[in-house]
Formats: sequence, structure tokens, C-alpha cells
Amino acid sequence: MHWWMEWGKGTPMNSKVIKALYRKEMLDILRDKKTILMMIVIPLILYPLIFLGSMLLTSSMLNASTTNIYRIGFDEVVNQEELTFFFDEAAKEYDYEFRYIHPDAQKESMQEALENGDLDAYVTTTKEEGKMKYQICYLSSENSSQTAAGMLRDMFIEYNKKLSEDIITDNHLVAEDVLNPILYEYEDLSSSEETVGSRFGYIIPFLLITSILMGSMYPAIDTTAGEKERGTMETLLTLPVKNMELIMSKFLATSTIAVAAALLNLISMGVLGVYFYQSMQSVSETAMTFDLMSYLPAMGITVLCVVVFAMFASAVCLCVCIFAKSFKEAQNYTTPVMLVFMIAGMAGMIPALELNKTTALIPVVNIAMLIAELFKFHFDISLIAMVLFSNIAYSMLAIVFMTRLFKSEDVLFGDGSNSIHLLERRSNMKKNQIPGIGDNVLLFSILLIILLFAGSIAIIKWKLYGLILEQALILVATVFYAWYIRADRKRVFSLQAPKIRDVFCTVILWMGAYLLMILASAGLTVLFPESAKNANATVELWENVPLWLIVLSSAAMPAFCEEMAFRGFLFGTLKNRIKMPVAILITGMVFGLYHMNFVKFFVVGALGCLLAYAVYKGGSIWLSILIHFLNNLFSVVITLYPEPMKKIVPFLMEEDLTVNSIVILLIVGIVLTTLGIVLFKWSHGDYKKKIMG
Amino acid sequence: MEIITTEITKTFTRTVRDNDHKKGGKQKKEEFNAVDHINMKAEKGEILGVLGPNGAGKTTLLRMLGTLMQPTEGSVSITDENGRVITNPVELKKNIGYLSENTKLYHRLTTRELLHTIADIYGIEADEQKKRIEEISNVLGMEGFIDNRIELLSTGQTQRASIARCLIHHPSIYIFDEPTLGLDIISSDAIIKFMKNEKKDGKTVIYSTHYMEEAQYLCDRIIMLYHGKVIAQGTPQELITSTNTLTLRETFHALVDGMGKGDADEQ
Repeated sequence: MHWWMEWGKGTPMNSKVIKALYRKEMLDILRDKKTILMMIVIPLILYPLIFLGSMLLTSSMLNASTTNIYRIGFDEVVNQEELTFFFDEAAKEYDYEFRYIHPDAQKESMQEALENGDLDAYVTTTKEEGKMKYQICYLSSENSSQTAAGMLRDMFIEYNKKLSEDIITDNHLVAEDVLNPILYEYEDLSSSEETVGSRFGYIIPFLLITSILMGSMYPAIDTTAGEKERGTMETLLTLPVKNMELIMSKFLATSTIAVAAALLNLISMGVLGVYFYQSMQSVSETAMTFDLMSYLPAMGITVLCVVVFAMFASAVCLCVCIFAKSFKEAQNYTTPVMLVFMIAGMAGMIPALELNKTTALIPVVNIAMLIAELFKFHFDISLIAMVLFSNIAYSMLAIVFMTRLFKSEDVLFGDGSNSIHLLERRSNMKKNQIPGIGDNVLLFSILLIILLFAGSIAIIKWKLYGLILEQALILVATVFYAWYIRADRKRVFSLQAPKIRDVFCTVILWMGAYLLMILASAGLTVLFPESAKNANATVELWENVPLWLIVLSSAAMPAFCEEMAFRGFLFGTLKNRIKMPVAILITGMVFGLYHMNFVKFFVVGALGCLLAYAVYKGGSIWLSILIHFLNNLFSVVITLYPEPMKKIVPFLMEEDLTVNSIVILLIVGIVLTTLGIVLFKWSHGDYKKKIMG
Repeated sequence: MEIITTEITKTFTRTVRDNDHKKGGKQKKEEFNAVDHINMKAEKGEILGVLGPNGAGKTTLLRMLGTLMQPTEGSVSITDENGRVITNPVELKKNIGYLSENTKLYHRLTTRELLHTIADIYGIEADEQKKRIEEISNVLGMEGFIDNRIELLSTGQTQRASIARCLIHHPSIYIFDEPTLGLDIISSDAIIKFMKNEKKDGKTVIYSTHYMEEAQYLCDRIIMLYHGKVIAQGTPQELITSTNTLTLRETFHALVDGMGKGDADEQ
């Protein structure tokens, strides 16, 4: 082992060091006027101003619309007098007036008068099917014209009704009975608390997410890029501080500031809300009354959400900023983060989206939706726990990720964007290089976008052909990326042919693992039934489709394309850059996350680890392609031909597993898996080496 | 205590523009060793000068000695009084006081706050911290400004605060990268006096400089770097004699001009 590897080993994190650094960061941040300004000004001055502004705006708009006079013209309408008389009578019920304008026909036509702003709207007539047809001409680009047209429409509805009533009465019938043979009305059964709460639910998450992000962004930049720019990072490096301690202290300080900023926001919003409520009460008696205290539980959990989300936002901001060399660079990096957060923060406003076990795991969206749910008085303890814990877990992951990747010296003394090779020209690329970690983050972000947007649309449009297209896109993106950065094909993709004995070992290993996976997914399905339902969505696409297409789209293509991306590009990078067990584990986890389903995450993640292990031991990607193919093919066969399969492998087809079959599956699974690993090790001489020393 | 490097090497990549092409011609990445397999040793109670033109690898070498930078090859180790060999970077740092032009201080803190923070990181007990800060403040004459924010201090005062920063933990080895650069005579004399005193106390001082006269009378031994390699080492007198010159400045010229001009930029 290289002597440098002792770094961070042996002694664990020293809490005293973290405390000292944390105190320093806090002093440093709090003495910076800009931070204080960001923290204080936005919640305490900006919010009241926005509220005041919007109140003034609404009241001025209300005033403006009540006093409005609309200028109307009639373009050769025969019964003009009758209409104007009727309109003036009817308009009294509403609070507006019509003024009838007669532009000089010599100078300008009605249309010209409208375009010149002398008129708000005008009426012309034609005859159609023996009926008089009135046409309301207006400009949708002009606000006043559009309102005037709306008013005119209301007038014609009234006029139409009056004429109908006249006709009915002339026929000796009761107009009301003919026109409205039935009666109907709405009755809102939600309490006024719920109504108001659902309105809060739209806006509060967005404001909170934005303010937390603002609160964490500045200190995150200041403690990372700012520290580098001021030249204090090198001083810090002369001290006996481990990476983990350094990042932990910065994370804690940033989170503290973010939480403080968010709480200030929340308090400011609360005070404003109460003030607003009370002023509404005193102004008008008809205003909705509701019990402010009923929101206390929602507020309480919201505070918890604020704390965990502040941690998450700080971790993300630090992750982004720690690789920047200057303040400016860091600000450039945080801009896209801000956009993504703000868009995701609006999730609470999307009616079709609801908080369930899947959405509870999507960062940012889960917090926005949870807060929205809380204010509608929907309290689901398991979902609340999932949202809170997933945020904590993501923050911790981000910290571990930073500690692993952040080598202060590279960022300080090297050329920063080292690990993302794509940013350079191809002619500058070193030949046969190994992609960086940054390359992988970029590639898999691209793959995720392909999967979420291009892929989903293609599948909806072209069904299984769309699935094939999606897989092909994944392959093309991966291969192109590798080609562009001139990656070492042999070392990254391990394309060489496998040995027969490795194929044998791999198949045995997979058979064992398959049994264990069945057990695991059965267990998880019992625990999370909802999530498991989503897992079988693609099966619907298989109806009335030839077999070859199903095999190609659901087994062959995924086996080849996904293996090239995951066991090729990703694992090919990781195995050359970090320790093998960690490389295998990360490959599995990313593979699990890629399937975007809670139940699948564990099962597919485990399969991903196994595939990576096979590539590592056998040195050929064809092994994992084969297993991936067999695995998917097996699922296809089981789904399409359940009856014959029940005869061949009855133990796999049982709906409810009995204790007996669980035990048998478990034992056979473990035996086969162990046998596979032992065979692998044996055929690669691991045991020989050990004996020989 | 002595500090030893064995075959220490640092490889960087740099971008070079192909001269055959006109403007905007192809850029190439090439690797080079900023420090190239250097074996050196600094002993207890000596001041070791590291000299060389810009781009010779002085700063990179000192950064690796201070474990701010990870060597591509080779290693750094310290042997303490009891003969124990230390190679763990965190442990190494506890024995080293490192000062360079780039080790700036936290502007928004006062010197006292800064020293407490750093003492905390070194794990010095609270009572001990107070005592030591008083002591250092007396020695360096910082009583007048120790409670002012560092952003308000003058250059000389900041330099004194920096020295206080790197001796708070009583290191036995000092690594100073051009400590007198850009300072007036009073401030630079204070630093030179400080190095001499520490040497008397049996500490090891490694320092780099461009001032030949300073190096000639201050250093016990000198190593001369050029393109990452040691081209000469010995006492100032030995170097002067071996090149048949009169002063260290002339020695420097004799050695370096003989090798061709140093043109690469300092990394």
C-alpha cells in the first residue's frame, strides 16, 4: 500500500477538530455582512414588501375594474337601439357602464377604430340559418378589449335568455319551468382550514425551498471556493485535519446557516399570515374564519422538513462548490442547481402528482409534496418518515461522495475540471485513458435524461420498438462518450471473449442468486405492495406481440446496452480508480437506482453487484451480458408461459410461499451462490495463491 | 528530529502549444516531473536552504515535505528523538510548521481567535492554549493587535500572526517557502532572527529563497534545484569553492547558466 493511503486511516474522525473548525466557519460566515444581509433582508424585508405589493396590486386591479367604462361600437346593427337599451338596464346589475361610440365612417372603419384604441370592442351582424348572428369583434392582445368582449358576451347571454323567455311566455308556458326544469348547486364540505391549507400548500413549499437554497448557497460558496480564493485553504492543509473532518465542519456550518435562514423565513411568513388574517377579519365579516392553531402539527413537521432539507441543500451546494476554484466559478455551478430546485419545488402545485412511496424518494420533490400534504391535513407517518430519512440519507451519501472525491490538492493546485474529460477537445485527449468519476456522473445524468424523457415518450408512442430505441440510445451515448474521450476500450469495456469455465461459474452463481432474489422480492412486495405494483408496468406492453420482439426488446437489448453502460463504462472506471468491493457495490447501487423503483432497487442492485463481480473475476463483459440476458429471458418465459413453467419449476411459481419452500429456496440459493464464488476463486487460483503464501 | 525524502517525485501535466503550427495550433498535454526523484535530508539544528530558479520545483518539494501535496512516487518521513519513524501525513503535520506566501489567514477572525482555533485542531488543552498564546504574543510583540481582526493588520503584523500560527504547536521542523519575499527590512530581519533562534533550540528549518546573500550567511547547508533535480548540495562555502567563485550569487550563476536557462513557470 502506498504510504499516502494511511491518510484518514486508523484514528476515526476527531470531534474536537470538527468542533474547532465549525466554530471558525461560523465566526467567519457570521462576520460577513453579505451573509447576514441575505439571511435577514429576504425574510424580514422582502416578504412583507412582496405581500404589501401584491395586496396593493390586487386592490388597485379591483378598483380599476369596478370603475371601468367600456367603449362599444355597433357596426350597422339594425336593432341597435333595442340592444343599447337592454344592455344599459342589464349592466346596472354588474358594476360597469357601456359608452357607445360612433366613429366617423369617413375617417375610419370600426376595425380601424378598434385597432387605434378608440374602441374596446364592436358588434356586427350577419344572418345565418335564418337567425340573427351577432359577432363580437375584439383584440385579445388588449386587456381592456378582452374584458369588454367578455362583458358583451354576458350581455348577449342575458339578451338570448330574455328573448327565449318572451317566446315561451307567448306560448303560454312558465319560462322558469322550461328553461330550468332542474336545480343544482355546489356545497363545499372541506373545512375552511383545509381550503386555506391547500392554498398554503401550493406556495409555502416553493418559498421554503427557494429560501433554504438561498440560505445554503452563499455559505457553501464562501466556505469552499471563497476559502480557496482568499488563500486560506492552503493554511488549512498545513494542519492535521482529515478530509472527512474538513467537509463535515463545512457541512455543519452551511446547514446551520441554511436552517437559521429557513426558520427566519418561516417565522416571517407566519407573522405575516397571522397579521393578514387578522386584518382580513377586522375589515370584513364575510371573510373566511378558521382556526390558526389547527396548523400547529403541520408547522411542527414542516420545521423538521426544513431542517433535513437544509442539510440536503447544503450537501448538494457543497458538492457542487467544492470543486470550484473561485467564487465566480462556484456561482456558475450553482445556477443550474438553483433552477432544478426551483422547478422541483413547484411539484406541490402539480395536481396529477401525489406523494407515494416512489415520489417520497425523489429529492426536493418529496419535501415540496410533503409540506403540501401536511397543510391539507394528510398525515401519513410512513411517508413522512420516508421523506425525512431519504433526505438525511442523500445528504450523508453526498458527504461520503465528497470525501472520497475531494482531494484538496487537485482542486487547489491542479486544473480543476480534471475528472470531466468531455469538456476538452477530442484532439487534446490522451489516448487510451480511463474515464474520470466526473465523466461517469455526466454520462449517467445523460442516460437518466434519455430514460426519463426520450425513452418514456418513445415507449408510449412505439411500445416495444420504443423500448428498443431507448436501449439503443443508451448504447450510443455510452459508446460515443468513450470514443470521444479516447477511453481505453480494452480496460474499460473488457470486450475480450470469456473462458468456458468462467461462463460455467457465472451461470451457477446466477442460479443461486436468482433464487435469493425471488425470496427478497417476495419479502419486499409484502412490505411495500404499492411499489411492487409499479414494477410490473412493462408487462402490459407484451400483449399481442410476437415472441421475438419481446425477447429482443426486453432481454437481448437491455442485456447488451445496459451492460455496456454499467459493467462497461461505470464499472470499467471504478475498478481502475477505487477499491474493488466499493467499485462493485457502487456499480450495483447505481444499477438499482436506474430502475427507479423502491422494491427493484434492492433486488436489481444485488444483481448489479453480481454482474460486476462476474466481470471482475472473469475479465469479460460477455459474462455479464449473458447473465443479464438469461435473467431477463427467464422473467419473460415465466410471465408468458406460466402453466408449463409451473410444471418445470413449481417452486418458483407459487403465489404464496410456504415456510417449507422458503427454507428450501434459501438453502439452495445460498449453496449455489457460494459454489459459484468458490468455483470462481478456485479457477482463478485464489486458493493456490493463499497456500503458496 | 530529522526529515528525509526518498526518491520523492511529483508529476504534473501541462499544456504545450505546438510551435510548428501557427497561432491556434494544436495543444498537447504532456507530463513532466516538477520534482524528479529527490533524496534529501534535513537534520536537527540546521537551516537547510532550497535554492533554484523559478520553475525548479522548490515550492512543489516543500509542499510535499509539508504533506500538503501527495507525491506521485517516493515518500517523506520524520525520525523523532526516540528513533521512531513517522510517515502518516496527519502525524507528520503535527511535527511541522509550514509557512508560505499562499498560507493566508482568516481575515474575519482576530489573531487570538485564529490561534485558539488552530490550537484546538492540534489538540492542545484550553489552559495550555492561553499560556502559549501569551508567550508567543510576548515573543513576537503582538500585544498591540492580537485582538484586532486580521483584515485590519499591516503586512508586517500579518506576517507575525502567520508565524504565530505555525509555531503554536511547538513543531520541531519548520518549512518556510520564501518567507521574506516582499517584506521590508525590519519584518524580514525579524523572521531571520526567528529562524536563527529556533535553530539554536535544536529545531530543523528548511527554507527556500531567491535572496542569495541571505542564504549565504544563514544556511548551514544548501541544495540547489534545477528542473526538479538536485544539481548541487553542500555548505555554502563548499558550493562556492567547488565552482571557483567568490559569492553564492556567482555560484548560482555558474551552476544554472551551465545547465541552460530555467524557463518553465513555477507550479
